[in-house]
Amino acid sequence: MLDVIDLNIEFHDHITPETVVYDFDLHMEEGEIVGLVGESGSGKTMSALSVAGLLSRKNMKKRGTIVFNGVDILNCKRSELRKLQGNDIAMVFQEPMTSLDPLKKIGYQIEESLVIHMDLDKEERRKRVIEALKDVELDNAEFIMEQYPHELSGGMRQRVMIAAALICEPKLLICDEPTTALDVTIQAQIIDLLKKVNKDHGTAILFISHDLALVKSLCSRVLVMYKGNIVEAGSSNEVFYNPGNDYTKALVSAIPKLEKKTGEKEEDNKDKKDKNILLKVDSLNAFYPVGDSLFKRGDRRKQILHDISFEVMEGEILGLVGESGCGKSTLGKSILSMVKYTQGNITHYSEKPQMIFQDPYSSLNPARKTGWILEEPLRIEGKLSDSERNIKVVEMLKKVGLDENFTERYPRELSGGQRQRVCIALSLMMDPKLIIADEPVSALDVTIQAQIMDLMLKLNREMGISMIFISHDLRVVYKMCDRVMVMKEGRIVESGTNEEVYFSPKHEYTKMLLNAAEKY
Amino acid sequence: MRFVLRKIATMLITVLLVSFFVFLAFQVIPGDPATAMLGTNATKEKVEALREQLGLNRPLMIRYFEWLFSFFFGDMGTSYSYGVSVRSMLAGKVPITLSLTLISFILIILISIPLGIETAEHEDGIVAGIIGGLNQVVMAIPPFFIGILLTYFLGLVLQLFTPGGYVSYKTDFFGFLYYLLFPAIAIALPKAAMNMKLLKSSVLKEAKLDYVRTAYSRGNSTKDVLYKHVLKNALIPVITFLGMTLADIVAGSLIVEQVFSIPGIGRLLITSISNRDYPVVSAIIAIVAFIVIIINFLVDILYLIIDPRTRG
Amino acid sequence: MNKPEWMKNRKFVTGIVITAIVVILSIIGTFFTPYDPNAMDASAKLAPMSAAHLLGCDNFGRDIFSRIMSGMGTTLIVAIGTVLIGVMGGTVVGAFTGYYGGVIDEVLMRFNDAVLAFPSILLALVFISILGSGKYNVIIALGIVFVPSYARIVRSEFLRCKNMDYVKSAKLIGVSDLRIIFVHILPNAYKVILSSVAIGFNNAVLAEAGMSFLGIGVQPPDSSLGRMLSEAQTYLFIKPSYAIISGSMIVLMIFGFSMLNEGMEEWSDA
Repeated sequence: MLDVIDLNIEFHDHITPETVVYDFDLHMEEGEIVGLVGESGSGKTMSALSVAGLLSRKNMKKRGTIVFNGVDILNCKRSELRKLQGNDIAMVFQEPMTSLDPLKKIGYQIEESLVIHMDLDKEERRKRVIEALKDVELDNAEFIMEQYPHELSGGMRQRVMIAAALICEPKLLICDEPTTALDVTIQAQIIDLLKKVNKDHGTAILFISHDLALVKSLCSRVLVMYKGNIVEAGSSNEVFYNPGNDYTKALVSAIPKLEKKTGEKEEDNKDKKDKNILLKVDSLNAFYPVGDSLFKRGDRRKQILHDISFEVMEGEILGLVGESGCGKSTLGKSILSMVKYTQGNITHYSEKPQMIFQDPYSSLNPARKTGWILEEPLRIEGKLSDSERNIKVVEMLKKVGLDENFTERYPRELSGGQRQRVCIALSLMMDPKLIIADEPVSALDVTIQAQIMDLMLKLNREMGISMIFISHDLRVVYKMCDRVMVMKEGRIVESGTNEEVYFSPKHEYTKMLLNAAEKY
Repeated sequence: MRFVLRKIATMLITVLLVSFFVFLAFQVIPGDPATAMLGTNATKEKVEALREQLGLNRPLMIRYFEWLFSFFFGDMGTSYSYGVSVRSMLAGKVPITLSLTLISFILIILISIPLGIETAEHEDGIVAGIIGGLNQVVMAIPPFFIGILLTYFLGLVLQLFTPGGYVSYKTDFFGFLYYLLFPAIAIALPKAAMNMKLLKSSVLKEAKLDYVRTAYSRGNSTKDVLYKHVLKNALIPVITFLGMTLADIVAGSLIVEQVFSIPGIGRLLITSISNRDYPVVSAIIAIVAFIVIIINFLVDILYLIIDPRTRG
Repeated sequence: MNKPEWMKNRKFVTGIVITAIVVILSIIGTFFTPYDPNAMDASAKLAPMSAAHLLGCDNFGRDIFSRIMSGMGTTLIVAIGTVLIGVMGGTVVGAFTGYYGGVIDEVLMRFNDAVLAFPSILLALVFISILGSGKYNVIIALGIVFVPSYARIVRSEFLRCKNMDYVKSAKLIGVSDLRIIFVHILPNAYKVILSSVAIGFNNAVLAEAGMSFLGIGVQPPDSSLGRMLSEAQTYLFIKPSYAIISGSMIVLMIFGFSMLNEGMEEWSDA
């Protein structure tokens, strides 16, 4: 059905052309599900967009052949290509919010392909749209058709995207990171939905993702891309359990495993039992004001946190896991008095706890050099001289695996991983005993993620720094933490040691999360 | 609906604030109107008597609300210079300036929207290049200078109209419109150039967004993507600009009226400022501000219609 | 042989060149002009362009070239003064309201909306009608009028920045609010402020020319391009070059500043 042979993509923006995809080969049969895995910048999205005939830009050259059911995608006329797009080849994109036209009703966006490719009257189209919405398990189809994208949740929007893609019963569905922007449980639902679509309609799926574990659960075959090359191809099990290529090996080993940890860590835990308390949170409630304006003081408040109590011991890493909107970030901020309306007691037994934020792009001041940023806490303290400050900055940079050359660089000159290292160094400048890390690795590629986690574990071991580690990713939390708390809708629904929570969960919600994380 | 009510509430607050500024600026800051009317040589008793008569001895807020109410019921005070009611002075002039503003506004839309779409669609074409370059210069020309250039080239050289030969709408309505066309062009050209540029860059910016890729992935032609998806989104900042620019268009009208000898409120305003005829000045300023506020309100409503996200 | 980055930006270079010419001409004009810009010469009334009078003479026999040089100087001084008042006032107001938010911010923003409902030139005329005309009153009037628009720009920049994680982390470190506002956030707003400075010049030149054209701006003996244009209008039929030249000078100044602004915007986008 689809044959891609020796696809090369080059950009001629500068004097020396830059090749972003080298000799890409892909053969797909009808009804097959193939995974395409790689980190950001690996060229996976470019290759997939070329297959759909959607990649065109100034100064770009594509060589090779792409043949879909006898049509030469790279060399055919636009009109011929358009007959395929939306009809035989359909796409689902990563960000369902931005991928839908914000000003058009859902019904319009789903039936658009029908209008373009088929000669149906209004009533028939409406029937097809309702059917398609039911197919993606959205009830209340008539209501949803009249909604606008911003009125739906992320999961619903992605279902709408899939419904719109499937409306003409395409032979090939290309999904570009369709679940990356979604919560784990929703992610699991979408994957199940794609499996069902494949089974019921025989739709072939090209599934692009950075997440090897996810790809393995869905696809029979996998291609791994790295810096524009296909470095490994084969059956999912083969690639996952027996990778041949070094990069693939690194990729596989970077995925934190949910297996029982070895004895060494257990002993660590015992040691920590007799340590001091660092933080005590007692029946904490937090609120956000609703409709605060000039006319109305915020008497209506939305409660974000309900009656939360826990302790953090010296030297331990406490995991805080939950889906988006469960209040885990608010909890982190409340502990550092960054939330205006709270009730309850928070007692710190250490000075100046610090925070590491999720987005390394916004947590460093873009107008200042790294050295200046790192010196700021010392300047504020005012104890050290210029040269002493300098020495301490370099010392911290070395501790996080960077060197003194970084002091003269602006944040924009650093990679995501390097920025996060600088953020960690910044949080260390004031010698805190407690660091709250809010999704510190979520914005990073898998291999970088693993490096940052190793760094944080090292700091915990060597400097005895306690952490509250907030994440949506159960695997990451498992690797990092000694104890875990699971949050849902502003409440802690379960807490305990890693082993207790992960291997004998009591709460239904924990079970569901684990199920979703383990399956994929 | 609640949103519309809130918009109306903020509009009313703005009206109150604006009118209060006008009141403060012209009734309080310039000094005592009684002294101003009687001259500095007048005796204290005479001034005091006049103050009593004019009601100047009462508290500020009461005077303000009195002034506001009488303003809305058409009593705008009496001109210091001419001794006639401000209302009668403005009666024939407001429609002229309003017409000029309106024609300019329509011209801006008629010129900028098609050209903006055209230059965005054929971004690298020759036409887009020429228009783009011309645009940069036109944006920099003040309306009154365009007015003078039009007067010279179209009026004196080509004799398409008679400079200074204003035709009243009472005698010849179409002649009136025709005469206003030239000052309207002068006002509209620079704004149309800016708006065209904004629309072009807005279209190009929107065209890079994800939903456009989705639209292409469904088999839409470039034209369909532009007209069915991109354009509506791209118009949102354009509407904002048109709303913001409205104040400038009114100001442009006031000045360009001078160039074309149009007896609108612009001329009256200038002479009143020179004569320090505060009742007239304050009435004109208030009227202009109210017009701008009302049209801004309509722009807000237009947002609600176009962009469902603002209906929250 | 590599050109520095800014030289590749054609708009920026155009803007720099034009602005430089304008600035140099007006600086020279304050010390030396071919003729006294106010000296009337009855024998040279409406004289055509010649070697003696490069651009000819006006209706009083004054040398147009000399008047343009000194007029540009006046306009430039008005623009600089206006932008200084506007930017400084606007930055302080915008920084504090944007950073602190709350009731004061709401009230000031309503106030801002109200002020922006007036055409800026009209608002300036209100001040002029109270203060009286003349160069310095024009500066004060226009400066005050421009404060709200700068405040709005700076405020929105502060609104964007104050929720960034780097501000939160600065607070955690214990940095004071004042230091966060001026040392941490303000450098991030430089680009926006700088490019709005160029727009500010642009608007100031336009407004000054408009006011002087109406006869309620700069007063004699200061010469002004707007005033020249309004005098030239009377003699449009006899000597169109007078109007065209003095108008074109206004256009040249505005064009230079708008090129500068666009160049800077391209620059900060890159």
